[in-house]
Amino acid sequence: MNKQLAAVVLFAAAALAQDPRQIVEEVQKRTRSQSQRYEGTLRVIDGRNRISEKRWRYERLGSFGDSKAVLRFTAPAEVKGVALLIHNHKERSSDQWMWTPALQRDRRIALQDRSTRFFGTDFSFEDLEERDASQYSFKLLGEETVNGAACWKIESRPVSTKTSQYTHSTLWIRKDIYVYVRIEGFKGSSLVRRIEYSGHEKVKNIWTARLLTVFDAGRNSRTELKLDRLEYDVTDLKQEDFTLQALRRG
Amino acid sequence: MRLLFLLTVPYVRKHKLRSLLTLSGIVIGVAVFVGMHSANQTVAGAFQQTVDRIAGKAQLQVTAGEGGFPEEALEKVQSLREVRAAAPVIEAVLNTGLPGQGNLLVLGVDMTGDRSLRDYDLEGKDDEVVDDPLVFLAQPDSLIVSKQFADRNGLERGRRIRLDTMEGPKDFTIRGIMKTEGMASAYGGNVAVMDIYAAQLVFGRGRMFDRIDIGVAEGVTVDECREKVAAVLGGGYEVDAPATRGRHFDSVARGLSTSINLTSLFALLIGVFIIYNSFSIAITQRRAEIGILRAMGASQRQVLGLFLAESGVAGVAGSCLGVIAGAGFARAVTPRLSYLVTEVYGMQQLVEKPLMTPAMVAASIAIGVLASLAGGLLPARNAARVDPVKALQKGRNQVFGEGENRIRRLVALVMLAAAGAALAFGESNTVFYTGYMTGILSLVLLSPAMALWLARALRPLLKRLLPVEGALAADSLIQAPRRTSATVSALMLSLALAIGFGGIAASIYTSVTRWMDQVLNPDLFVTPTESITARQYRFPASLGPRLAAVPGVAEVQAVRNSRVPVNGTPAMLIAVDLARVARRVRVIAIDGDAAGIVRQASEGKGVYISDSLSRIRGIARGDIVTISTPRGPLRMPVLGRVVDYSDQQGSMFIDHRVYLKHWGDDTVNIYRVYVAKGHDPGAVRREILTRFQDQRKLIVLTNAALRRFILDLTGQWFGMTYLQLAVAVLVAILGIVNTLTVSITDRRRELGVLQAVGALRAQIRRTIWMEAVAIGLIGLILGAVMGSVTLFYNLAMVRRDVAGLVLDYQYPFAMAAWLLPVIVLAAFLASIWPAEAAVRASLVESLEYE
Repeated sequence: MNKQLAAVVLFAAAALAQDPRQIVEEVQKRTRSQSQRYEGTLRVIDGRNRISEKRWRYERLGSFGDSKAVLRFTAPAEVKGVALLIHNHKERSSDQWMWTPALQRDRRIALQDRSTRFFGTDFSFEDLEERDASQYSFKLLGEETVNGAACWKIESRPVSTKTSQYTHSTLWIRKDIYVYVRIEGFKGSSLVRRIEYSGHEKVKNIWTARLLTVFDAGRNSRTELKLDRLEYDVTDLKQEDFTLQALRRG
Repeated sequence: MRLLFLLTVPYVRKHKLRSLLTLSGIVIGVAVFVGMHSANQTVAGAFQQTVDRIAGKAQLQVTAGEGGFPEEALEKVQSLREVRAAAPVIEAVLNTGLPGQGNLLVLGVDMTGDRSLRDYDLEGKDDEVVDDPLVFLAQPDSLIVSKQFADRNGLERGRRIRLDTMEGPKDFTIRGIMKTEGMASAYGGNVAVMDIYAAQLVFGRGRMFDRIDIGVAEGVTVDECREKVAAVLGGGYEVDAPATRGRHFDSVARGLSTSINLTSLFALLIGVFIIYNSFSIAITQRRAEIGILRAMGASQRQVLGLFLAESGVAGVAGSCLGVIAGAGFARAVTPRLSYLVTEVYGMQQLVEKPLMTPAMVAASIAIGVLASLAGGLLPARNAARVDPVKALQKGRNQVFGEGENRIRRLVALVMLAAAGAALAFGESNTVFYTGYMTGILSLVLLSPAMALWLARALRPLLKRLLPVEGALAADSLIQAPRRTSATVSALMLSLALAIGFGGIAASIYTSVTRWMDQVLNPDLFVTPTESITARQYRFPASLGPRLAAVPGVAEVQAVRNSRVPVNGTPAMLIAVDLARVARRVRVIAIDGDAAGIVRQASEGKGVYISDSLSRIRGIARGDIVTISTPRGPLRMPVLGRVVDYSDQQGSMFIDHRVYLKHWGDDTVNIYRVYVAKGHDPGAVRREILTRFQDQRKLIVLTNAALRRFILDLTGQWFGMTYLQLAVAVLVAILGIVNTLTVSITDRRRELGVLQAVGALRAQIRRTIWMEAVAIGLIGLILGAVMGSVTLFYNLAMVRRDVAGLVLDYQYPFAMAAWLLPVIVLAAFLASIWPAEAAVRASLVESLEYE
């Protein structure tokens, strides 16, 4: 019986392995949580090895396809209070607004501007959106080993309703724990950006990369985002904390 | 060609000064033409260049007049599939307050998306050079400046610079430096970039944008995109290519172009007369030579060709020199013109050096050569017709034949009648301007006859002053009218031009002063800048009640004026509380009942327009005008026409409530402040300044100061014209020198005989001086008469084409009186050298002459 069960599981795993969508959906399923909070340390290292550091606090409510997030800078003093509100949608690209307390003004980040760099980092505004599997088509390209871990190599292309700067992306997903270890975004045949995920740890039973490193192919710089004080399923977050009014309140 | 070398070259060598004077006619005519057109094109080009460089890769621009439009329009544009990028912009000019640096063009942009349209090309090719993009956005004092501006002022990243803002002088931090290419090279490199939302605060724009720059999506044509954007925004917006703003410059500054074209034309015409004069004289002197040539078998055609070739060569040489002189003239005039265009039309540009395109050089040389050929044609034809036998007869060559005189007078009278008919029946511009030119030409044709009559009339007067010298001087003019006629004509034209423009200036001064007396009656005017024509700075509406609360203030009236598209072309819209203003100001209606017009307009039932706008645009009372507003096209009936000189291109009055409703803009350009009875306006002014000057930039002008500003601006406008006139008069004076030189050469024997029989040198001198002064006086009298005609036409031109203003005919007697000593003195100065040459000539040689 046990042998039979093992055979079924192995067969199922093999079948799953052949369907890239199911692999990505499995990643989503395993990382799903009702909310998230972390304190991020952002280090931008430019071509001349000059380092600028900022800190932000990130809070998310909801999960893939229906989440809202607020990212609020906490340091240094000149940028403290600047915030980004993101409303992710299942059927289309997210809405984003930026709040600048010194001006007491919010501004909408237009869809057309999502490919621009996120305030001098190597992230683009689009990279801050969640990548819901329903907005992409997938193709399995093969298997590769990344940093000693066996990975699936999958190509994703945005569906017509999804506006993206990338014509396609290549995803590397660890076979053992179903997490991303690398994503490369392309425009045509040109690499635009690469994100490396490392330092995976299990937090509340969710494997999470504690360090994200972004390389912009057009520039000789990189950005590191380190996640501290990471929490999942935080109980004190409310829907009304993720509105423009809340953003303005600070 | 051989004849040219055989005959012309020795003549030129022998008469160097006269040849130089001939050239000077062309040189000055072409120089004025080149200088003024170069200056005009440079200013227009600088404006277009600023627009183009700042537009960057934008293929379309959305505007809704100077007032801007609410932010909401941006999302509508950005939502379109046909739009690749849409970036909001606020554009304003700040006074840097830095010595010698003048103004700084500040562009408010949203840096999150703007870089897809504009290449900021930051120093170091690295974003981090904007110390930190997030800090740039987070801190409202952030500024990026061009490298050129930074270098000139020793600025570097992190340094602070103090600029005037709506909230008073404020320190800004330089957080980035752009390379001096592309956008950063606009406006002479005096360019800075700041965050658009910070710019809204700094310039008091509320939640408005000036325009949206658009990049068209791939696979979509510009026209398709334009249609979609126009459809999504509605009719109140203009969606055009950036180049269209340059066309707006032409429509707004057309008064300037017309004025420049007219004076250039006159300068050329005066040049033609100088050439005509010189060639007539040359041909007269060379009659014997021409006679011999004809006797030796030269055909009429060869002689005609010889003299036309001479004038052509003189034209080429004079034009080339004229282009060089014109470049210098342009250098002097361009900054003044640039200032005027900024102040009068509110069109920001910064000129660096005058523009001189190959096309302009080629056109100027062609025009100079044509003018020279035109001036030389009649004398050349006369030369060709010289009878070899008569050519050797003396004394008859400077006299007009009776037949010639009769034909000339007849043609002149026919032309005069044609000009009269054109004036009476000609509605179209072609007929009007043809009539104008025909009228001027008829007077020019009549001028030799009139000069002769005047010389005869002056003879007794001159004789009474100095019996011998006066009679000799007058007789010289009477006996040789051909010698003096062209000079007199040139002088007449110059002075007519001067009087024509002087009359316009006087009429405008009178009309504007009368209008100011009736309309500009507040005691104080509170403005955000020193210049009342600058509309980029505005006050918030909240300032009004605070001003009203100042002790001694009886009433405060808010004025919002901006140039907005009316029937598709920009016009000045003035939004005020019409009913309140009418209680203090007497509205002068051209048609209809003023009280009724104001009442209906204040109820939002229509607009009223200045008479000038009505004439320029052909808008009549009862017509429906379409005004572009951010909330869609506003169709309003024109309730009536009033007298108003607020804007050179005419103005339209709308009630402030209607403006608020359709533009959603409550900012204010000027507050009109009435001081309560028994209070000193000076004390109230000081109190306002004390209360507010630390909070925001605020200028309080007294009534007298505002009037001075307006009259100064008007004066500067005419100052430009007077500069051209001075040049034209100079050309005419050169003509006098030319005429006198020839007169002396012609009369060498006569003057020699006079000296031989005992005439004193002083007497000869005085004869020449009196002849010169007589030419000047005749030119002045004819110029004064012709000036009365040109003034009439100029007034019609101002009414029809330049500004639509109906001005009273006001002959500038004071100016004419002032011209009398100027011309007499100039004529006297012009005669000094020829007189000295006459008295110093060898007596023996003089008697041997001929």
